[in-house]
Amino acid sequence: MSNVVLEKVSRKFGEFAAVNEIDLRVAEGEFVTLLGPSGCGKTTTLRMVAGLEQNTSGRISLGNEVVSDAASGVFVPSERRRLGMVFQSYAIWPHMTVFENVAYPLRVRRRPLAEIRDLVSRSLRLVEMEGFSERPAPALSGGQQQRVAIARALVFEPKVLLLDEPLSNLDAKLRLQMGDEFRAIQRRLGMTTLYVTHDQSEAMALSDRVVVMDWGRIQQVGAPEDIYRYPANRTVAGFFGNPNLLDASVEACARLEGGRVQLDVVGHGWQGRCEAATEVQPGQTVTVMVRPEDIRIAPAGTDKDGLRWSGRIAHTIFRGPTRSIVVEIEDGRLNVDAPAFGGYSVGDNVTVVVPRHAAWAVG
Amino acid sequence: MALSADDRIADIVTARSRLPHVRRFLNGAPASRVVGLTLLALVLAFLSVYPLSMLLYGSLHSTPPGVAGVFTLDGYRDIASQQNLLTLLNTVGIALAKTIPSLILAVLLAWILARTDTPFRGTLEVLVTLPFFIPPILTAMAWGMLGNPQVGLLNQLYQWITGSTASPINVYSYGGVVWHMMQYSVPFLFLLIVDAFRAMDPSLEEAARMCGATRLRTFYTVTLQLMLPALTGAAILSFIRGIENFESPLFFGSPAGIHVITTDIYDSINQRSPPQYQYATAISFVIMALMFLIILMQWRILRGRSFQTVTGKGYSPAVMKLGRWRWATFAFCALFFAVTVVLPVSQLLIGSFFKFFGFYEWEMLTLEHYQAVAGSSEFWRAFGNTMLLGLVGATLTMLLGGIVAYVSVRTKWRGRRLIDAMAWLPWMMPGIVLGVGFLWGFALLPHAIPIYGTIWALLLAYISLGTPLSVRVMSSAYGQLSYDLEECSRVHGAGWLQTMWRIMIALVWPSFAVGWVLIFFGIMRELSASVLLYSVGSEVLSVVLLKLWANGSAEQVSVIGLIMMAMVIVFRWVQLRVIKRWIGAL
Ligand SMILES: Nc1ncnc2c1ncn2[C@@H]1O[C@H](COP(=O)(O)OP(=O)(O)O)[C@@H](O)[C@H]1O
Ligand SMILES: [Mg+2]
Repeated sequence: MSNVVLEKVSRKFGEFAAVNEIDLRVAEGEFVTLLGPSGCGKTTTLRMVAGLEQNTSGRISLGNEVVSDAASGVFVPSERRRLGMVFQSYAIWPHMTVFENVAYPLRVRRRPLAEIRDLVSRSLRLVEMEGFSERPAPALSGGQQQRVAIARALVFEPKVLLLDEPLSNLDAKLRLQMGDEFRAIQRRLGMTTLYVTHDQSEAMALSDRVVVMDWGRIQQVGAPEDIYRYPANRTVAGFFGNPNLLDASVEACARLEGGRVQLDVVGHGWQGRCEAATEVQPGQTVTVMVRPEDIRIAPAGTDKDGLRWSGRIAHTIFRGPTRSIVVEIEDGRLNVDAPAFGGYSVGDNVTVVVPRHAAWAVG
Repeated sequence: MALSADDRIADIVTARSRLPHVRRFLNGAPASRVVGLTLLALVLAFLSVYPLSMLLYGSLHSTPPGVAGVFTLDGYRDIASQQNLLTLLNTVGIALAKTIPSLILAVLLAWILARTDTPFRGTLEVLVTLPFFIPPILTAMAWGMLGNPQVGLLNQLYQWITGSTASPINVYSYGGVVWHMMQYSVPFLFLLIVDAFRAMDPSLEEAARMCGATRLRTFYTVTLQLMLPALTGAAILSFIRGIENFESPLFFGSPAGIHVITTDIYDSINQRSPPQYQYATAISFVIMALMFLIILMQWRILRGRSFQTVTGKGYSPAVMKLGRWRWATFAFCALFFAVTVVLPVSQLLIGSFFKFFGFYEWEMLTLEHYQAVAGSSEFWRAFGNTMLLGLVGATLTMLLGGIVAYVSVRTKWRGRRLIDAMAWLPWMMPGIVLGVGFLWGFALLPHAIPIYGTIWALLLAYISLGTPLSVRVMSSAYGQLSYDLEECSRVHGAGWLQTMWRIMIALVWPSFAVGWVLIFFGIMRELSASVLLYSVGSEVLSVVLLKLWANGSAEQVSVIGLIMMAMVIVFRWVQLRVIKRWIGAL
């Protein structure tokens, strides 16, 4: 059963389509992240689910209920969609205490006072803020405000939780910690979660599935590992990490077990084997993605089944756990992640290799 | 021409998608909202568009309001006279002459109080801004007594000190008009610009110092340049208020034969017999055209130049250490307060205890003026009217302003621009012009709506005059609230009404209170529209004062003036103490 369903959902501002024909199904209890560069339509998508923005075409359902259908004119207002939401600014009401902020969803639903007290303290305990309930809201730090915003979104146990870049206003360390904590809470309560971020590492660390968006369209949907390893196109490939992208033309193509294909490719001064998702006609050009951490600096003559380049070390950058090495090859420059203390020096002539399964060709 | 299959399909598709569009609009604008917006638009139209169109009607109509007549252009023909050219020059010239020195004084005061270590800055700031809250009619009368060329206290003092018989001070002159206007312009400009001085990021100045600029050079090249948009905007506003000003030219200009447009309008209705309504109405259009030109100029000058060069809270701007000079700056501020507040209030005090104005001898001391005022039913009626109009008027104006500001700032509803524009319209109309417009408007209403000559006429005029200010106050209050606060409430289950009540109103009411006090002050001081619209039974204090003054009862004027002054100080105190604390608690 799906808990959030978007069918061909678009949102136009005048002629400009901020969100363009999006299809997405989020299963019950699933944690799905919308990921993409700023301005790609993530917030707009989330706001359409929340009912804060009206889709100009398509249909949105929550559970079994259609909440917005542009064709039939159905539109259920926000307050009747029974959602929890955490805003990027946290939207903590400055005129209320922490308790009143968290109690708000219950108060507007006219729950009995004893129940409110009970649920609020449970919710505050969940985010470890039970000692702060009488604090006025402006007297909170960023991290505390964020916890209160989560407690408020959880307090009436909504079926679906929406979060719009909730960690972006926190410093790097707190961001990691809050992300992990929130994921643990989400697992424990089992809420369906739609999470928006532009931070790829956050998306990979938290999500069951990642939805990569660009220009208002979905580029790829999949588990973080799959998207990282097997991006569907150049845009997605370039979005994660800092991969090497090399143009090549296809010589031969063969099917592999498990649906993928093996390509023999020729680039400018190099050749070898890589993998791809679908068959490519010989003669066509592809882009081969090779991640720095998959490249090894190797003694000559190893590894026939993959790609290899010879070149010269142009410069190295010490990064702590690894050393980034830039190898100058005929086709340009390759970024290689090598052991931090591997004894490489600028000017060395080296051969670098990548096994076939770590070289991925996209159209 | 034959349609291709593709074209026809495209037609069908667009036809289909047009239907939901219509439905969505209806869906998006529920009937209750349409009704509400229409009502709001009607109220605003009655308060602004109606008097404006009545002005046009009146300027073409040959007879007074409510009397059958013909349509002529005589009103406009009468305007074109040499006398009126002088009036126009007077109007613009006086406004300019008071704006420039006021701006210099205000910059000086703002700099002293925001950027130096002058002692008692907090108290001084309250004191130098106090004149702004005193009804101009009070200080005008006080200065009329102080600077009277025959028996004025200042001249008596001069004669007593020097032993000569000359009286060098005569407030019934250009100088008097400009001087009286300046007492209001300086605190007004100060209030507009002081925050810009205070909120200035000190690192901008420090950077200039690091580059080797001297203190003075830094002030010219950085501080003043950054202030320039704020200063220009404030100066234009002050200039506009100078053109709209009524009290100063009425008290100090008219007796000396110096006429400006506002007093010319007043005289042609109240001082000539028969009253020249058509002429007054036509000349009202002249001043509105003038205002319109200035506002256009203001837009051109300020376009693209932000007032926000100096935003950002949390700076504690570098305070200049003045050393021994800080007592000089202290004395300067204190002197300003003494001249603009202490002197007129003392005059009122003295005037109220002596039998005859101008004859200050021991045996003349008396309390009879206080008894006369306390026993005057006219005074008590006017007092009651002023309080009633102040309380009701301020409340209604702020409510209207709050609704208009919400619609225009916080929603994307259709028609919000029209509503905003209508609420802004009275901004272009000086009080006296709006008074003339309503005079026609109320007189031409059907008899079933008896507003003409009642207290409701004044109430409606006050609301109309106050609405632009209340909209501005409430707009900036809403503007500071992120949309998230509202939307978050909706998502978490609160309907529109509940969100309004629990979130928006709860968050903006401190601004509402601040605006309320401002409007209340505005109503208490209002003279130019009141003097046209009152009738027996609906007098307000300012009108009673004017009538007493015209009858030569300077002594009773002093008593009533003191009472009003006490009210001003009490309200100002409440505003500073109580409301600041509420806001601080937020
Ligand atoms: N109310 C609006 N009017 C016009 N354009 C808008 C509006 N809201 C968003 N957009 C545009 O839609 C695009 C997507 O915005 P958004 O969903 O906020 O992006 P993000 O992925 O950064 O959250 C942006 O280009 C933005 O400028
Ligand atoms: Mg966003």
